[in-house]
Amino acid sequence: MSEPTNPVDALLDRAQDLRQTLGGNFRDELVEAIYTDAQAIADRASVKSDSGRLDFDQRIDRLLTAPMLGLPLMLLMLGGVFWLTIAGANVPSQMLMSGLFWVEGAGSRLFEHLGAPWWLTGFVWHGVYRALAWVIAVMLPPMAIFFPMFTMLEDLGYLPRVAFNLDRLFSKAGAHGKQVLTMSMGFGCNAAGVIACRTIDSPRERLIAILTNNFVPCNGRWPTLILLATVFIAAAFPPEVASVAAAGSVAMVAVIGVLFTLVLSAILSRTVLKGTPSAFTLELPPYRRPSVVRILYTSLIDRTMFVLWRAIVFSAPAGGLIWLLANITISGHSLAFYLTDWLDPLGHAIGLDGVIVLAFFIAIPANEIVVPTILMLYLGNTMMTEELSSSSSWRSLFVGEHDWTLLTAVNLMLFSLLHNPCSTTIYTMWKETGSAKWTAFGALMPLAVGLVVTFTIAQVWYLFT
Amino acid sequence: MLSWLRRIKETRRRVLVEDALKYLHKCDWEGTASTTASVGEALGVSPSKAQLLWQQLQAQGLVEISGDHLHITPLGESLALQVIRAHRLWEKYLVDEARVPLADVHAMADRREHNRNPEAMSVLDASMGYPATDPHGDPIPTAEGVLSQTDSVPLTHWAIDRPARIVHLEDEPVAIFAQIVAAGVYLGQRIKVIESTPKRIVFTDHQETYVLAPIVAGNVFLVASEPMGREAPLPRLTTLELGASAKVQGLDGTLQGYTRRRLLDLGLTKGAQITAEYRSFLGDPVAYRVRGSLIALRQDQAQHVLISTNENQEQNHV
Repeated sequence: MSEPTNPVDALLDRAQDLRQTLGGNFRDELVEAIYTDAQAIADRASVKSDSGRLDFDQRIDRLLTAPMLGLPLMLLMLGGVFWLTIAGANVPSQMLMSGLFWVEGAGSRLFEHLGAPWWLTGFVWHGVYRALAWVIAVMLPPMAIFFPMFTMLEDLGYLPRVAFNLDRLFSKAGAHGKQVLTMSMGFGCNAAGVIACRTIDSPRERLIAILTNNFVPCNGRWPTLILLATVFIAAAFPPEVASVAAAGSVAMVAVIGVLFTLVLSAILSRTVLKGTPSAFTLELPPYRRPSVVRILYTSLIDRTMFVLWRAIVFSAPAGGLIWLLANITISGHSLAFYLTDWLDPLGHAIGLDGVIVLAFFIAIPANEIVVPTILMLYLGNTMMTEELSSSSSWRSLFVGEHDWTLLTAVNLMLFSLLHNPCSTTIYTMWKETGSAKWTAFGALMPLAVGLVVTFTIAQVWYLFT
Repeated sequence: MLSWLRRIKETRRRVLVEDALKYLHKCDWEGTASTTASVGEALGVSPSKAQLLWQQLQAQGLVEISGDHLHITPLGESLALQVIRAHRLWEKYLVDEARVPLADVHAMADRREHNRNPEAMSVLDASMGYPATDPHGDPIPTAEGVLSQTDSVPLTHWAIDRPARIVHLEDEPVAIFAQIVAAGVYLGQRIKVIESTPKRIVFTDHQETYVLAPIVAGNVFLVASEPMGREAPLPRLTTLELGASAKVQGLDGTLQGYTRRRLLDLGLTKGAQITAEYRSFLGDPVAYRVRGSLIALRQDQAQHVLISTNENQEQNHV
């Protein structure tokens, strides 16, 4: 070391020497001193009131975390949120749909009136616009119901208790306790769930939470699940219990999703993302009256509009693509016909068919258009339709004309749960991780899992039938 | 495609150069002689390839060759220190922040050290609060290339009853290091040797008692420290019954980095009152009330919190 030439260097050298003499515990002492001072100031300035509120909170907490009661209460609460979302979104969805489709009719008539060529009218109104209308009508009402309710549970202080109850499972999987929260958020929307992973401080566990978020079904996938449950599973039960059976099977798919989340988290944390769980220091805040304005703001602006906007941006081109595939014909057949023909062997291997596989490809921008796309391809319509109204007409179309079996229904439900995330989620993953590699992994890993699962089930099924 | 291949080749050559410099620095540091043959063998390159390497290093002014002996130049030394700095900072980061098991970090840091960019390293350094040593206790060179040295004594040569602090855990050979880690011995631990025979070394940190074979203990290095004050082990937070209260006495030394900071920030500092409120129905975690707020801790964190339960004092207080 050379002799310092000026006072600044001398000072820096001195600081460097002093740093070496610092004990390892200086941080502890620093924090301790801060807390001691803060405590002294707080004691001087505040008077503690009677702890009546504390007792009230404690009583609720004992109830919510009790061994026999905690789990049923939790399932009931979350089940209630799902049920309200499904039931409550139905009517506004129908209204939005008819309103938006009326605009489509009017718009295309206006184009025709102005003398626009048929392909322009078709592409703009029956392609791009129709996909947008569909996504908005299907997505907006459930999100506008689900997110405020979810935010309210969060605001009440209930969600941290859920995390507290389930932490053991996640800690066994090597994941962070807060992943319960980001996972529940994924039930609403996986892109929002991925954004919520920001609250996990440890980079390793944040990545695990981001990569496995897609294993729980989002709002865009609920309609597919509910439709299949109604058409295939409810039909096997007497009418009185049919709706409960359908709801139960949808809930079971959700539970399967949670299981896959846990299993994949465990595999990731033992292989590519090896490490020990970091501090899970969940604060359990006192229960408080939710603030309505804040709930509406965070849930509608931060979550609903944000997610909807991204879905719109991504589904518009998809709508155009569907229209083109169905309307460009080569020697008498549409492009969609050739593609489904080509995809049929793959579809058959995983218990589905070429049409369904193509629908999943087209629906990468927005999962809600899976069922409409399947319908469009089956019916040979040149645009997405929702003309079938009763579950018996669905059934006669799927089973009667396109040879669907129980295998098709089960595998379609599973594949809907286990496949690549929608492009909105993929884009969000990329934004959040800043890594193309992890984004690609997060997109392909669930797809691989889905292919393996559906392939296995299909092959076993074929073996026995 | 061609430029890509060329880039890979260049990177490989750079890695080899940096590994060679690191090894030469280590020889210098430990005071062992380094010959062209010994270094070539340590790096695992063929003699003909090694010859090319020496020529390249000499041409770049990184080493001087006199006969068989290699000497690192000040320029080579500063480059070696940069690589070492990157390696040790990465080790520190991986252990403390990413919570990678200590036994795995050496290999991971070996891969990362060559992707070093002085600015990124400075950011990493600052984000961890300018740590002085890596997780094995090796000093981290500063950005200016200053490497400080402490004189330490192996555990096998330490006198009985003399208070000591562990300052270095040698990470090679790997098998021995794994045994040190598995025993629960950690850096910065303050200990006292109870028994030292050619068969075994027994020491305590007044919390646990450790027994190591001399071959393992020889890789644990100590400096003198002040006596610890207390002699009896303290109970851990995990032993606190539901509904009972205690005073926090501190966090044990195995807890480092992010987790330690987090617990301190939550107010788990010495003297804080803590009450176990209730347990999750799956058995873990437990919710504790500390400084007026309710915090859930997993058992594997709660066991690092040392407490004292003095009920008499408690009653006087209330």
